[in-house]
Amino acid sequence: MLFEPLYLGSLLEHFAATKCRMVRLMVIFMKTTIALFTVLTLASAALAAEIGKPAPDFTATDINGKTVKLSDFKGKIVVLESYNSDCPFCNNHYKTGAMQELEKDMAAKGVVWLLVNSVNPKNPSHRTADQAKQEMADKKIVATAWIDDSSGAVGRLYGMKTTPHMYVIDSNGVLVYQGAIDDKPDPMHDPKTAHNYVREAVNAVIAGQPVAVSQTKPYGCGVKYAN
Amino acid sequence: MLVGLFCLAAITAFGANTQVRLILSAAAAKPGDTVWMGLDMKMDPGWHTYWKNPGAAGMATKIEWQLPPGVTAGDIQWPLPEKLPPLDVTTYGYNDEVVLLVPLKLAADLQPGPLELKAKVSWLECKEACLPGKSDVEATLPVGTETRLSGDAATIVSWQSQVPKISDGIAMRAGWESPRSGDLRPLILEASLESSVSPQITRADFFPDASDDFEVQGTTENLVTAPTEIRLRKLVKKFSGDWPGRMGGIIVLESGHTRTGFEVKFALADQAPAGEANPATSEHLPGKSPASESPGQPPETGRRPALPLMLLYAFIGGLILNIMPCVLPVIALKILGFVGEARSEPRHVRKLGLVYAMGVLVSFLVLAAVVIGVKAAGHHAGWGMQFGSPVFVVCLTTLVMLVALNLFGVFEVTLSGRALDAAGGWAAKHGSAGAFFNGVLATALATPCTAPFLSVALGFAFAQSASVILLVFLAVGTGLAAPYVILSWQPTWLKFLPKPGAWMEKFKIAMGFPMLATAVWLFNLAAGSYGKSTLWLGVFLVVVALAAWIFGEFVQRGRTRKGLALAIALILLVGGYAYALESQLHWRHPMAATDTAGSLKESANGIDWQRWTPEAVAQARAEGHPVLVDFTADWCLTCQVNKKTSIEIPSVRAKLKEINAVALLGDYTRFPDNITTELSRFNRAGVPLVLVYPKNPEAQPIVLPEILTPGIVLDALDRTSK
Repeated sequence: MLFEPLYLGSLLEHFAATKCRMVRLMVIFMKTTIALFTVLTLASAALAAEIGKPAPDFTATDINGKTVKLSDFKGKIVVLESYNSDCPFCNNHYKTGAMQELEKDMAAKGVVWLLVNSVNPKNPSHRTADQAKQEMADKKIVATAWIDDSSGAVGRLYGMKTTPHMYVIDSNGVLVYQGAIDDKPDPMHDPKTAHNYVREAVNAVIAGQPVAVSQTKPYGCGVKYAN
Repeated sequence: MLVGLFCLAAITAFGANTQVRLILSAAAAKPGDTVWMGLDMKMDPGWHTYWKNPGAAGMATKIEWQLPPGVTAGDIQWPLPEKLPPLDVTTYGYNDEVVLLVPLKLAADLQPGPLELKAKVSWLECKEACLPGKSDVEATLPVGTETRLSGDAATIVSWQSQVPKISDGIAMRAGWESPRSGDLRPLILEASLESSVSPQITRADFFPDASDDFEVQGTTENLVTAPTEIRLRKLVKKFSGDWPGRMGGIIVLESGHTRTGFEVKFALADQAPAGEANPATSEHLPGKSPASESPGQPPETGRRPALPLMLLYAFIGGLILNIMPCVLPVIALKILGFVGEARSEPRHVRKLGLVYAMGVLVSFLVLAAVVIGVKAAGHHAGWGMQFGSPVFVVCLTTLVMLVALNLFGVFEVTLSGRALDAAGGWAAKHGSAGAFFNGVLATALATPCTAPFLSVALGFAFAQSASVILLVFLAVGTGLAAPYVILSWQPTWLKFLPKPGAWMEKFKIAMGFPMLATAVWLFNLAAGSYGKSTLWLGVFLVVVALAAWIFGEFVQRGRTRKGLALAIALILLVGGYAYALESQLHWRHPMAATDTAGSLKESANGIDWQRWTPEAVAQARAEGHPVLVDFTADWCLTCQVNKKTSIEIPSVRAKLKEINAVALLGDYTRFPDNITTELSRFNRAGVPLVLVYPKNPEAQPIVLPEILTPGIVLDALDRTSK
């Protein structure tokens, strides 16, 4: 306790003023160590998805076998979509074409769109890589990657509850929106007439404005996680 | 007549896996009547539909009425739903069959004739996947001059009995357990139940009403489940707006396989309800928990711990305290005392033994008075709480250092300042004061430790009345003092001690070192409160030591200019105090506790400790992790020993990784209220307390004993998956 980094740091300040080169070199070395230690501590503090905090990083595999690492997209806005097309709420957004339109709009603005499919392999709604590729083509889904999350690791890391449960991460890697896709929790409404929270959040980030609605209750089917 | 019956036959509509039809309580009605309609939903095996609050996912069933003029439908009355897994996406709904009930009000001026009652129903049905369901239902109700029950009336009545009602037998209290911070906040719900409500509750739960602004999460912790009292902890996640000030929902009481629901609405206080029942009614420690007392309900005699047994525990605990690491330095003083006195007159030895015991008992009386006072002021009290006060720690550090210096012979403790004159009757007086002081010191140093037996007795006492607290404290004191009183009563047992002589002076100095070590330990405690400024406490200690030396060398043993020496010593003391403690250390205003988030890892490959909060426990459990909780404090030596020998060791680290457990550290150094509350739930008045929560989020935690071995910890972690 007495030797917490802060205390060491202020002690070092006293030594830093010295004329002896050896001591000054040692001070620089120790300061670097302390800085590194602090960074590591802060990094491990980023535990769960929380608005205004750095979004938890993850490494996953997409349906083409490619590795997808969230932190590789730093500098770009990232949208996460918890996806299960057998769920009528998701399906409603795709069969009306509203989701594809949103995805295209986002892609045009340079936004990275990641589909996260956490359906466990025992569930009939699970998709093998080939089925997923087929589905992506059939539905004309415009996404940077379809993440095979059948272990549920990414979904649970973010606390994804429903399909669709949406997340928007700004270009600094900070989570700025999580919750429902829009304000009509109904599997049979016309999504184009609803108030789309994801579009609003992304547009606000691009305009450099704060996100007005940063958190809503997600709606949809429960995510079919593996036990 | 036949035609009428035919018209009554409701039309049954089919969803993919759910059949819905509309049923009526009446076969015929007259204007002004209220008729009950029921939307009967039959789900295929494995399929379910949802309650008015579907929970984390799903969708409530909707009914859109198309009714003729003069007929109005009321709100849906929802029968008690089931809580549906998985726990991280808890939903509320119905399996197999449900009848949603709706009152239908017929206007008094309604024209006779058949009424066409139509509705569009939409729902979500789920099994492994979800499907939307949609259907039109209708029924015909003849309106005439008489009221006649239909064949479905009995079905409707039986479903009506399953709709949760408001009950006078339930008195709700609710409040937030922690101040607002972040989006997740624990809520405590407490209800007093009249015996008519439920005779034998095995579990209680709360199903919240739906809200867009917040979600009451699925996991429920049953803190108290007594026949007349329940206490639940729920986690609330906020989405938008301020934290709610009111809430509504259903209190569900389970008794074996039967479940009863009661509709409740309540205001949320900023603090958790204090709890009318004794905190010791926790269900975790059957056999130790006294039943809650309430008028008209005889206390369960078999479960109430007897006061005599607790006093015995307190006594044994006090005895064991003598060999706990906290008190060991004082033993050095006692040994010295015995050697010095062993050959004296037996009467004198006995007297010193008793005076020592008096010192201990008076200190315990003071402690008990403080605890009673703190409790009366409405605060939490706990064993060793004075160590949470930095001011106390500074005083004790200084005192213990002076004792060490005294043992080193830097100065003498005398009342007259003439140590070498000590002789005859005066020596007896000196001895008495010393023995009394030893007793006080032993108590002061004993409090950061708890020992086996002691924690049970104290945990019991802290929840009791003032007189019981007093009795238990005195029993602990008696136990602490007992060995010395007995030894002084039987001086023949001291014959093995060597004869007094020159070696005593050397032994005395040697014994100064354990005392010095204690001072270092206390200094390190103070560092926790003052941070880098603790340096000034060190400076102050050196100045005090210098003053003590000047006092001993030039005032007590000096021959000339004693007045000047005394003045210098006093100036040093006052100056050191004013400069180092007051103007530099600001010792009466220590830094506020800093709550650093994130890992509390002690070394690179150490256990990845996270800060303990009730939310952290609930969240980890909801995510399906076993949880290890270590309540500890810097001043708790038993805790430190436990950690070194049995927790922060490679085998436990590996086990934690293997079972994917979350490790939470509760730091009791500064006596935070939420940990005091948690300790009292487990009938403890102090640390150490180590808990292991099994993987199953509904299972009760395993409470580990005060003194751990690696085997105990590993065994408990092994049991988490069962």
